[in-house]
Amino acid sequence: MSLASTASERAQPSMLARLFARQELALLVCLVLVLAFFSVTIENFFSVRNMTNVLGQASLALTAGIGCAIVFISGEVDISIGSLLATIALPLIIIMNDTNSLLLGVGAALLFGLIIGVVNGYLVAYAGINSLIVTLGTMFIMRGGVYLYTGQRAIPDDASLDSFIALSDGRLFNIIPYSAVIAIVLLAAFGYMMQHRPFGRQIYAVGGNQEVARLAGYDVRRVKFICFIISALLATVAGIILAARVGSAQHTAGLNFEFQVVAATVLGGVSLAGGIGSLTGMALGVLILQFLSNGLRGLGLPTEWQLVITGMIIIAAVAFDEAKRRRANGG
Amino acid sequence: MSELTHAPAQKRFIGGQLLGSSQLVLGAILAVLCIAISIAAPQFYSEANIVAILRQCALVLIVASGMTMLIITAEVDLSVGASLAFVGCIGMAVLNSTHSLTLGMLAALAFAGGVGLFNGLVVTRLRVNSLIATIGTMMMLQGGVYLFTREAVQNHNRLASFTDLGAGYVGAVPVPVILAALIFVVAYVTLRFTTLGRYLYAVGANEKAVRLSGLRSERLKLFAFVVTGLCVGVAGMILSSLMNAGQPTAGRGFELTVIAAVILGGTSLLGGRGSLFGTLLGVLVLKVIDNGIIILGWNQDLQMVVPGIVIILATYLDIIRNKANVR
Repeated sequence: MSLASTASERAQPSMLARLFARQELALLVCLVLVLAFFSVTIENFFSVRNMTNVLGQASLALTAGIGCAIVFISGEVDISIGSLLATIALPLIIIMNDTNSLLLGVGAALLFGLIIGVVNGYLVAYAGINSLIVTLGTMFIMRGGVYLYTGQRAIPDDASLDSFIALSDGRLFNIIPYSAVIAIVLLAAFGYMMQHRPFGRQIYAVGGNQEVARLAGYDVRRVKFICFIISALLATVAGIILAARVGSAQHTAGLNFEFQVVAATVLGGVSLAGGIGSLTGMALGVLILQFLSNGLRGLGLPTEWQLVITGMIIIAAVAFDEAKRRRANGG
Repeated sequence: MSELTHAPAQKRFIGGQLLGSSQLVLGAILAVLCIAISIAAPQFYSEANIVAILRQCALVLIVASGMTMLIITAEVDLSVGASLAFVGCIGMAVLNSTHSLTLGMLAALAFAGGVGLFNGLVVTRLRVNSLIATIGTMMMLQGGVYLFTREAVQNHNRLASFTDLGAGYVGAVPVPVILAALIFVVAYVTLRFTTLGRYLYAVGANEKAVRLSGLRSERLKLFAFVVTGLCVGVAGMILSSLMNAGQPTAGRGFELTVIAAVILGGTSLLGGRGSLFGTLLGVLVLKVIDNGIIILGWNQDLQMVVPGIVIILATYLDIIRNKANVR
């Protein structure tokens, strides 16, 4: 709550001053260090091609991470996004195969995503069930549903529409992958909403102190409900990009994706307790992990080591952040 | 602190005073399930099938016993699935090289207990949220097990005692079920009849109050993490005995099944509230559903869908029941 009100008052000082006062700076330094280390040790790491490639790879987690961060800030969690990725690929691919229309396919996928978001949001906000339980449940239901429907086989994209394929390997001005452009635009839009629109402030208020937010006249239930819808729709966008990349609807798509996104979001300083964090932080968290895994691969380290190192870094980063916060609070 | 007054709940269990107990909904669900399945498929009540269900319950119940304690202290461990696979591989490797069940078991317990200790230290000393800390550990273990072995560690020891661990019987009862029952009873007694158990509830309900009253809350949480780890050690050895190999890919999603069973049993993720008896019911409900789906010849992929619905539904019914009680 305090964060929400001070955020608006502090909006006046210069961008730079604000940046220094916050933890995004520490993350930025981390990112620069990671980039510097790999640029020295790996040839061609710091090339436009590799940078934009990594950005394209990061676009999935960036897009879904926006929703994850917003739900975290509202004081809830959503771990159903990995299964959602696999679920919405079904209507997307099936409708596209039937109609040869990207628009109809995407529309169907978004409709599915909307329904999932409404279900999650309703069960959490209005039925009052713990969000970890709800999204654990819908995660099972969706993954099982996809297995049931597909018989554990991939559904290939037979339509092969140019516009759909462009989502995976097309580049704006031949430089930036379209998927990254989508992620950046969404990031900017939702970042603006979170920092400068009343609704964003309501989300911070609800996550910071639900009781105070309620007494201040905010409709806590509605805010949380909408946060889950936002999360599901953004995960849907990520799912569409993933389906374009693999060229099919895979029943195993997005396995463990929720853990990657949660890890990156928390690394970015978004607190599970609610009310704290920013989308900028989340984005930096995603980029750090993505560049790290890209760099470690470049060094020839097997994927297993990437997992081990990523795990260690997440724990270390959160521990460091916690120590800093405790010192700042004088305890 | 109404959470701490849960003690009489169990005594009311006898004598039709089940109403009001938090296990009511679950018990009813279990009864309805059993009746419905046995009407549709009479072989449900055969001795062989009941033994099969119990055997499937054993692994989950062993880890869920520790996990219940941990969740009661308001922490959670997502690394148990990854740890289960790693423990199986390490236990099998040690067995192969030493031909001693004791040493293999000790190695498995030491490793799994060490993982629990690590998780506990990260959470209590470094103050990392346990959800995140154990996601981190999960990643390290998933990567680590492949660095340890790229393929399954096959059973080269041919120790009869090791095979019995998973597949043996005492009378008509499978050995894993006996082990699970032992662990369950010890955990149950600890939680309900000892001061330590009381303290675990207290830490989960109000950690600050516990600290202010002079208890070391960190130690209590650390204890719960290590116990959970040790339970994984036992379960990992049973699993590798059942599969006759240490599989690095085993245990995928196991953590979610365990947590689902605990939550289904009415243990609150916020800590301070819950019971092992509920966990037992939760495990039974999930495994009876699994078994029913197979017996009825339904598509096995329903084994994911139905538990998902049941978890949400049971929690929702519990909320409604609580609201009704308040009125």
